[in-house]
Amino acid sequence: MLEKKIQPEKRRSKSRFDVTDAANIALFLAAFVGMWQMVFLLGIWPESSLPSPATVVGAIGNLTTNYSLPIGIGVTLLRLIAGFVISIGIGVGVGLAMVKFRGFGKTMSSFAVGLLTFPSIAWVPFAILLIGFNDFGILFVVVMASVFSVMITTYSSIRNIPPIYLRAASNMGAKGFGLFQHVMIPAATPSLILGIRQAWSFAWHALIGAEILITTLYGLGHVLNVGREFGFMEDVIASMITIFVIGIVFDRVLFAKVEERVRSRWGLDQHSE
Amino acid sequence: MITPENKHGNTTMLQVKEVSKTFLYANSQSNVVLNKISIDIKDGEFVTIVGPSGCGKSTLLNIIAGLESQDSGNILVKGESKVSTDPGRLVIFQEGALFPWLTVSENVEFGLKLAGIPKDKQMQAASRFIEMVQLSRFADSYIYQLSGGMKQRVAIARALAMNPDILLMDEPFAALDVQTRDILHNQLLKIHEATRKTILFVTHNINEALALGDRMIVLSPRLGRIKREFAINLPRPRDVESSEIAVIKRQILKELEEDFQFVRKENTAREATQ
Repeated sequence: MLEKKIQPEKRRSKSRFDVTDAANIALFLAAFVGMWQMVFLLGIWPESSLPSPATVVGAIGNLTTNYSLPIGIGVTLLRLIAGFVISIGIGVGVGLAMVKFRGFGKTMSSFAVGLLTFPSIAWVPFAILLIGFNDFGILFVVVMASVFSVMITTYSSIRNIPPIYLRAASNMGAKGFGLFQHVMIPAATPSLILGIRQAWSFAWHALIGAEILITTLYGLGHVLNVGREFGFMEDVIASMITIFVIGIVFDRVLFAKVEERVRSRWGLDQHSE
Repeated sequence: MITPENKHGNTTMLQVKEVSKTFLYANSQSNVVLNKISIDIKDGEFVTIVGPSGCGKSTLLNIIAGLESQDSGNILVKGESKVSTDPGRLVIFQEGALFPWLTVSENVEFGLKLAGIPKDKQMQAASRFIEMVQLSRFADSYIYQLSGGMKQRVAIARALAMNPDILLMDEPFAALDVQTRDILHNQLLKIHEATRKTILFVTHNINEALALGDRMIVLSPRLGRIKREFAINLPRPRDVESSEIAVIKRQILKELEEDFQFVRKENTAREATQ
């Protein structure tokens, strides 16, 4: 009758990790390492400035067995998560207040947009003088780098909810916290996720920068910096690779998956195919 | 004209009392959309409101629902004055009012969940009304997986689940193709027959109004008033091509002709000034 053909969830599976993707990635990696090896063999730079891929793999092994990398990853991720959680807490809170009080929202949004484009590294001297060379100084920079993105996202996502959802919901008796919990939050979710993903990448950039400049005893930025100070290029590259992998894992595996699930459920991918 | 046959109760369900609404524009012009409109609707009656676009019929419906406020006048349900929106008067919107983050059955349960009704009762009611609109197979589908007609059937099921006094339908089938619309008309009539809900149905489509209502109210955009009422005392489902309908339709079109011309002139004038 009226029923349009419904394709089961199967079509989603193609975006999952499959054999062709894996082959492409392997090929790309092989080409990259091959070129690196060739440049190394040309001998343009001395080995201390550009080590071979094998040396770097060895460095990763070394840094892993002497616990520099595992501890660095652990400490860095802890700082990242702590900073990000604080950012989300403050950002969502202030964002909601901006929705609630219109004058405040207007003023605060221009202010926050200004701070959004402010380079996070430029907070570092301020953080050092205000808080000092410690974890809290680093956390401060991470929070300042990402909180405004969360704030703006919360504010705009809620304001851009299609009014028909709110009308329909209030017609059915939704008000106050119920309206917020059952309608506003889910309706704003697709764009909230985009903003939170952006905030995450801001926080990540700021964290490594802050770890390099605010020298404490641990963290990936610290490992990177120690490598530079002792002139161990293989350690520098090894930490860079680790930072790269962490970035990919979080963005591709965590955020992309959540976003994809939300987009498919909300039916937002329907026109793109 | 012919009086409507008395199959609905005699109690008055909805009273619209001298409701007026004027829109003010930025250039200090104003437009009287509704001018002391009064309508009485009996329990179980199916009333349609027709008029060209911009005649204020949707505004009237929103005022009755409590989603917009009137400048003066009252809305009474079972004799009680109503000012704000409540689940006793549920609107079925033209489109897009279902929640995409919920499945069909979760959408239908939504209002019940808000009302704090236990989960098993919610599910019972949901499956009953989803069955009534013949969508049981799609109870666990998400909204994007449904066609336009199916979405409107879900919207009807969602409203019925809350057991409202009145269903307010705001051009609910306007975005659908003709065949789908015919099918939905028949389903709506069956649902009306089965539930005896009071329905107020707004449309610009005269054929649709002729096919559905016990009574048809023609609104004039020029006056902001009810131009005329027609009782359509014919058995349903109706053939809109039949001679009885044609007679009524001709009268309605005659009534509306000058209004349509008025709207056209108004629009051209507005375009010219822009």
